[in-house]
Amino acid sequence: MVPLAPVNWDAYQADGVAALAAATDADAVEEARVRFLGRKAALPLALREVRDRETGMLLNTVRKAIEEAAAEAELRLAAAVAGRGLDFDPTEPASLHGGALPAGSLHPITQTRREIEDVFLGLGYEVIDGREVETTRYNFDALNFPDWHPARSPLASLFFDRDRLLRTETSPSQIRTMETRKPPIYMVSHGRVYRRDATDATHYPVFHQIEGLAIDRGLTLADLKGTLLHLMRALFGPQREVRFRTHYFPFTEPSMEPDVSCFLCDGKGCRVCKHSGWIEMGGSGMVDPKLFEFVGYDPEEYTGFAFGLGIERIVQLRHGVPDIRLLWHNDLRVLRQF
Amino acid sequence: MKVPVDWLRDYVPLEMPLDELAHRLAVTSCEVERVSRRGIPWENGNHDLFVVGHVLSAEKHPNADRLQLCKVDVGETEPAQIVCGAWNFGAGATVAVARPGATMPDGLVLERRKLRGEVSEGMILSERELELSQDHDGIMVLAAPGAADAPRPGTPLAELFALSEDILEVEVTGNRPDLLSVYGIAREVAALYGLPLAPPPGVAPSLSGDEKIAIDIQDAVGCPRYIGRVFRDVKVGPSPAWLKARVLGAGMRPISNIVDITNYVMVAFGSPLHAFDLDRLAEQRIVVRRAGAGEKMEILGGVEYTFDARDLLICDGAGPVAIAGIKGGEATGVTETTTNVLLEAANFEPHELLATSERLRLRTDGSNRWEKGVDPHAAGRAATLATQLIVELAGARWTGDNDVHQGLPGREVIALRPARTDAIIGVVTPPAQQTALLTSLGFDVAEGALTGPDFPGGAGQPTLSVTVPTWRARDIAREIDVVEEIARFQLDALPATLPARRELFGTLTEAQRLRRRVEDVLVGAGLAEAYTGTLTGHDPDPRALRLPDPLGGDQEVMRTRLLNGLVESAERNINVGTAGVALFEIARVYLPAPADGDLPDERWHVAGIVEGGYFRAKAVVELLLSAFRADWAFEPAADLGDLGQGARLRGRGAAADGGPAGGGPVGGTVSLLPAATLDGAWGTFEIDLPLLFAAVPGHTTYEDVVTFPSVKNDIAVVVDEGVASGDLLAAVREAGGPELGEAAVFDVYRGGQVSQGAKSVAISLSFRSPERTLADEDAAVHRARILKTLAERFGATLRG
Ligand SMILES: [Zn+2]
Repeated sequence: MVPLAPVNWDAYQADGVAALAAATDADAVEEARVRFLGRKAALPLALREVRDRETGMLLNTVRKAIEEAAAEAELRLAAAVAGRGLDFDPTEPASLHGGALPAGSLHPITQTRREIEDVFLGLGYEVIDGREVETTRYNFDALNFPDWHPARSPLASLFFDRDRLLRTETSPSQIRTMETRKPPIYMVSHGRVYRRDATDATHYPVFHQIEGLAIDRGLTLADLKGTLLHLMRALFGPQREVRFRTHYFPFTEPSMEPDVSCFLCDGKGCRVCKHSGWIEMGGSGMVDPKLFEFVGYDPEEYTGFAFGLGIERIVQLRHGVPDIRLLWHNDLRVLRQF
Repeated sequence: MKVPVDWLRDYVPLEMPLDELAHRLAVTSCEVERVSRRGIPWENGNHDLFVVGHVLSAEKHPNADRLQLCKVDVGETEPAQIVCGAWNFGAGATVAVARPGATMPDGLVLERRKLRGEVSEGMILSERELELSQDHDGIMVLAAPGAADAPRPGTPLAELFALSEDILEVEVTGNRPDLLSVYGIAREVAALYGLPLAPPPGVAPSLSGDEKIAIDIQDAVGCPRYIGRVFRDVKVGPSPAWLKARVLGAGMRPISNIVDITNYVMVAFGSPLHAFDLDRLAEQRIVVRRAGAGEKMEILGGVEYTFDARDLLICDGAGPVAIAGIKGGEATGVTETTTNVLLEAANFEPHELLATSERLRLRTDGSNRWEKGVDPHAAGRAATLATQLIVELAGARWTGDNDVHQGLPGREVIALRPARTDAIIGVVTPPAQQTALLTSLGFDVAEGALTGPDFPGGAGQPTLSVTVPTWRARDIAREIDVVEEIARFQLDALPATLPARRELFGTLTEAQRLRRRVEDVLVGAGLAEAYTGTLTGHDPDPRALRLPDPLGGDQEVMRTRLLNGLVESAERNINVGTAGVALFEIARVYLPAPADGDLPDERWHVAGIVEGGYFRAKAVVELLLSAFRADWAFEPAADLGDLGQGARLRGRGAAADGGPAGGGPVGGTVSLLPAATLDGAWGTFEIDLPLLFAAVPGHTTYEDVVTFPSVKNDIAVVVDEGVASGDLLAAVREAGGPELGEAAVFDVYRGGQVSQGAKSVAISLSFRSPERTLADEDAAVHRARILKTLAERFGATLRG
């Protein structure tokens, strides 16, 4: 019997595992297996000779490690995608491997609201959170709504009692803000507003409005136009133009309705812009001096402008959402598109 | 309002393309909804094929009993043979004829063709075929046989009345009742294009009599002016074609010459009129007064209305004959047999009239104008034009006039600083141009005085003295209102500039910033954001604010929590077969104020609903809390009402209301929804955001967790099933001392060697110090202290 040469079993294990890890085909795996685990390899020979428990445990550990490396190599090769040189199929869905993470989504109203907020934050405006249950004082009186104005009627607005109602526009927050500070004021305010409207594709009794107010020395109607142009280009593309049409609102004088040139047809006329090339965006104007009187500003010192837009309308236009109710149904088939 | 363009041309010489006019009017004056067309197409000379015909003979068709065979002189050498189905005319009548090749309003092209074996060269027309009326009462007879003024055969019909009309359909804002009239629109067009405006139409014929109808205005506020004119020998009959065309073009139905005249004048001047059958007015007098409670009247068309003391009525000697400005009574209206007429040209106060119209749910062309405020001076012009037409078209004699008022309002004079105009608009309009523009709109402008020393904007500024026209009195009372008049004509020239800022501010508030983060964390956690209604059908809080007159039973209550809407949304998604539903919403709830009549506390909440049970929801909340570093406890709760069972979230800070020690206010709930509510296992959560944000550490200071390694140490304790993991963990934190870093439950084990009714809870601990490397002995001391506390509080035993 030939005494065995002493073997460094740590190195043996490392060599065996490395050879198997490096194997790129079945032959190489088989070759390494024979070399390190085969009948004539040093390890099985030594195991046959072993007499003490400690050496036995050591040799078994080495054998187990190499066997595992071999099994791993076989698995790896089995899973390899033929001809691509890959050890696994990287196109399989992660859900098959316990790794899928669900995708959430931000509502399109929120996405557009944030974009508008960011435009105005960039212009140095504050964002003011108003309140939704308002008094007639803030919702109408302070905004110069005459006593006979149809919006004051329970046929148009939702009242809790004679003095309290659901705000019909976000403007009361302008008054609340003006009451508590001095100009300059540059603010936007947004949120839910309420009207007694019959529901259809473009009307819903609750909708989101975003409203802006700027009060400073020397503000002009041209500044209002420039501000809205900046917003419309941010929302609808850099080629957009803005025009004003004269209108009437109790809280502004002069009052204007801004239109944006149609982003679908570039002003040539299409179904969305009703073949006019222009899309109506909301209301705007120079703050009526009556509002300044109400909050104690000097209309000779300050001028201001204000505007209000419907967020749902912008969302419907930008994303081609045909019916406003889709924005309230929370159908995940819809929400997951955004 | 419908504005026939031909009518507009009576007052202002239009040359520009209609599309351009519509665009410019929309910018300066009023919305133009569309440009539409009524009548015979005019393209390719089509109008020339519609001519006057003289019926030479009319006999029965040889092969058809119901048809006439006519020979008609149409101004050519040979008469035309025309087959006609109507019998209301005969030889000698003057009629309207369409020649072969003519295109009718419905697009049909007439051809020369045989009808029952006889050639028909065109068509004798009815009013309906010319779109002059909806009636099918035979063909239109332009002149009876032998009439002296019959138009000559071959005369183009277009010379007699408008065969077709372009119509501007405009929508007018509430401050511009003057634009609810063709003349008012003409004035704007004239100002826009610098065109001459014709003087107001109407030349009064001479008064042939001195009858004074008694007019008693008992409410001069409701009725500041009442003109009553008497006409005798009135011949009520159909209107001439031109008037029918005008009335139709304005969107109304021709009825009779008298009624058509009142409608025509209303549309011309915007001041509504009414005609009474004088002989049916009791005592032949007029009383204008408020109604007695319960007073009744039948209006034209036969519907009966009941009034109260707020409604203004026109009465005769016996009772009501009209609802002032809104609708005339059935019994006193003009009919075919009327021979004497009382014409009313009045003025009514708008707001009470609007209230009456809303109360009675009765809106008319008249009320639509009165409710916006009609110029009291317009009644005079309207009466003049109507008088002229009644005399001319109904052969009447004007025999009486009475104009009752207590003085008409004078014209306001406003000082306008031309420089102020420029300062508001942001574009320079020279004073001369401002003057010219205002003048073309009917203002009188003169050089004004310089502003005085008391003037708030400073002394010594030049002004224009601007006198407001009566038809704008309600809308224009201040300098800024005059500025708007200039501004609306400068809109196309307006540049786009940005404010020159001297100070800058503008960031999101802390709460706004954090709300955005809540949205982002939840989207990252795989939830889709939802928007649900503010108003709901039911709410757990019986004190929740209610609308007394809601849009519907399911939109009655102001919600005090968000979850109702989310449960409904989840259900809708289940019903369409969507899997993996996970929704959240950030919105306000409305907590009733302590005192009735105060405004509610509007608080931002976030709520969510996820498929997969309680712990799916809790995982989301845990993620949210850790994203905000908010140290909140989950407090077991078996009684979350319709939300099922789960936990309340409670801050660890001191209770604001002096509640249980160590307990802050409840900041939200996490629950397992009862199986009856939704199919499957659903978890929910709802959190009060102001409370959550209050729990967010304001400012983070770096803590050294790097220099010295931590010592990890696990314990497993056996406790009764009833002990909540969260309570154990809280006690561990409390007992662990400042060197306890992380503590987390990583396994709960039941069965095996753990006895029935008990569980083994394994907790991983790590200890560290910022000053030194802790030894195992240090950890052992902490660990022993923790175990002692758990033993004392929960009877916990260390599991071997
Ligand atoms: Zn378009």
